[in-house]
Amino acid sequence: MGFYAVQSLNALSFSMLLLLTGLGLSVVLNLMNFVNLTHGSFFLLGAYIGIYWLASGAPWWLAFPIAFAAAGLAGLLLERFPFRQFYARTHLMQVLLTYGLSVIFADLMRWGFGAQIISPEIPELLRGVVFILDMPFPVYRLFIIGFGAFLALALWLVIDRTIWGAVVRACVVDRGFVETLGLDTRRIFTAVLVVSAGLGGIAGALGAGILSAYPGLDEEVLILALIVVVVGGLGTFRGTVLSSLLLGFVMTFAKVWIPEFSNVVALILMAALLVALPEGLVAQKVRQV
Amino acid sequence: MLLARIAILLVVAALPLALAGDYQLRFLAEILIIGTAVLSLDLLVGFGGLISLGHAVFFGSAAYAAAITSQKLGADIFVMLAVGIVTGMISAIVLGVVVMRTIALFFLILSLIVGQIFWEIVFNWRELTGGADGLRGLPPLELHTGFATIPLTSGVTLYIAAAALAALAYLVARSFVEAPIGRALLGTRERSLRMSALGYSIPRIRLMVLAASGGIAGAAGALYPFVNLYIGPNAIHWTMSATMIIMLVIGGVGSLYGAFIGSAIYLGIQTYVSSYTDRWQLVVGFVFVLTVMIMPKGIVAGIKAVLRRRSGARSVR
Repeated sequence: MGFYAVQSLNALSFSMLLLLTGLGLSVVLNLMNFVNLTHGSFFLLGAYIGIYWLASGAPWWLAFPIAFAAAGLAGLLLERFPFRQFYARTHLMQVLLTYGLSVIFADLMRWGFGAQIISPEIPELLRGVVFILDMPFPVYRLFIIGFGAFLALALWLVIDRTIWGAVVRACVVDRGFVETLGLDTRRIFTAVLVVSAGLGGIAGALGAGILSAYPGLDEEVLILALIVVVVGGLGTFRGTVLSSLLLGFVMTFAKVWIPEFSNVVALILMAALLVALPEGLVAQKVRQV
Repeated sequence: MLLARIAILLVVAALPLALAGDYQLRFLAEILIIGTAVLSLDLLVGFGGLISLGHAVFFGSAAYAAAITSQKLGADIFVMLAVGIVTGMISAIVLGVVVMRTIALFFLILSLIVGQIFWEIVFNWRELTGGADGLRGLPPLELHTGFATIPLTSGVTLYIAAAALAALAYLVARSFVEAPIGRALLGTRERSLRMSALGYSIPRIRLMVLAASGGIAGAAGALYPFVNLYIGPNAIHWTMSATMIIMLVIGGVGSLYGAFIGSAIYLGIQTYVSSYTDRWQLVVGFVFVLTVMIMPKGIVAGIKAVLRRRSGARSVR
């Protein structure tokens, strides 16, 4: 019993990372109709920055805001050039541009941070284990679950319940109309991209504690996040939450029960879901023509 | 005009035989083989508007099928090609049946997932595929004519085989694109709703282009293991698919010939820049991003446009 409780918590902490990364990706995709394949790079950048910050001896809790800020800054610069020129282009061109950029960033980070696997020094406060039904469980993973849930909830509140969120959502429906109200939609899009990149960075800083950081992690995370977003269904917050939970639990328990075939099983399940529900788990109601 | 073109092409194709050494000829053979696979991707991306991140599956599974068959039966080039084409087509049809109902982003992700499932199988099926180590020690490729057996192991013979494959593949792709099916394919890309209103079955057209594309990629994959007498799981990984897309975009989407130019540029950078610096991926990335931003139709079309603009300005004056 305790074993399954602990595994479920493991799955939940992994789902949280998927959720945070997926949300960053889906916010940009849904609100700006922009496919941003550099999102994995933001994650890895956040992971490296978190690790170096924790090793530097500065107050540990600042690592997460710093990772958010660094990735957000990268997002801000990229948004100015060249993302902005590609908002009106086809998804194909966006995919090509951002994939190319992610190749560049991957190599730059390999250059700057080295090619070896590095893990963070987890701060004293989060280091130990707690016993859940007599089974040990790392405190750090509980922290990921709590902090991740807090961030996801905050994002949902901002988008769904505040006037800023309403403005952003209005941009999705009719950008021209928002412009006529005297709002600069370009700045709104900039803000959305910065928040998305920052979320990627903070997810990386959190995730480094269990995934470590190494060249290639950016692509692995990007693919998982893309699967989460697409399987969940475009344009839905609930769908992304649902699919990140699903993928997190399937991957974790597949590793427990059938370690050799865990990835195949998870991939087949996701492919089957996409085939059965091409619109995603939670389909947005779209009028066809 | 056409004859003159063919003559020029033949001379150009024959030049390396006189000038290049064994190593360069092998390298050119690799460029042509990978270029053929990229050419087949162009059918999907350039003409069908289907961006596949699973294209390495057609190429890689055919390469494995050929390599495994060659260990049992020897490596007759025609047997290898037949095995490769059939494997490529079957894997393309498997992918096609799975992804048939999806387009755009969903197609991209689903082809990626299906591709990774294939990769996991190849990676974990150690007895058959050698797992992470891949397969080594393959028998040499051979051409059995009626009276003699010619081994295709030297750079010269490999280059000739690869060039013949590339030329044939180009002709097949060209005729596919120009046939009614190719026109219909363009229609499904541009106006899918109108095409289905006209009575075309879009899934059927897509399945046919996938089969054609898979067959060509499979033929290329069948020869690939014999260039270096090695095949590893990287040939089937999704990053190989992404690399093919990079090559295609650099060379020019929808041009068919651009596939070879793109593969030459990418592999050229990989081989020659990496001997000066570890940062060759940075160079590839920059070339790719610049192509996307400045010359979205590829390097050849981009340079042509620049030249035309210049000569156009002169003639106006």
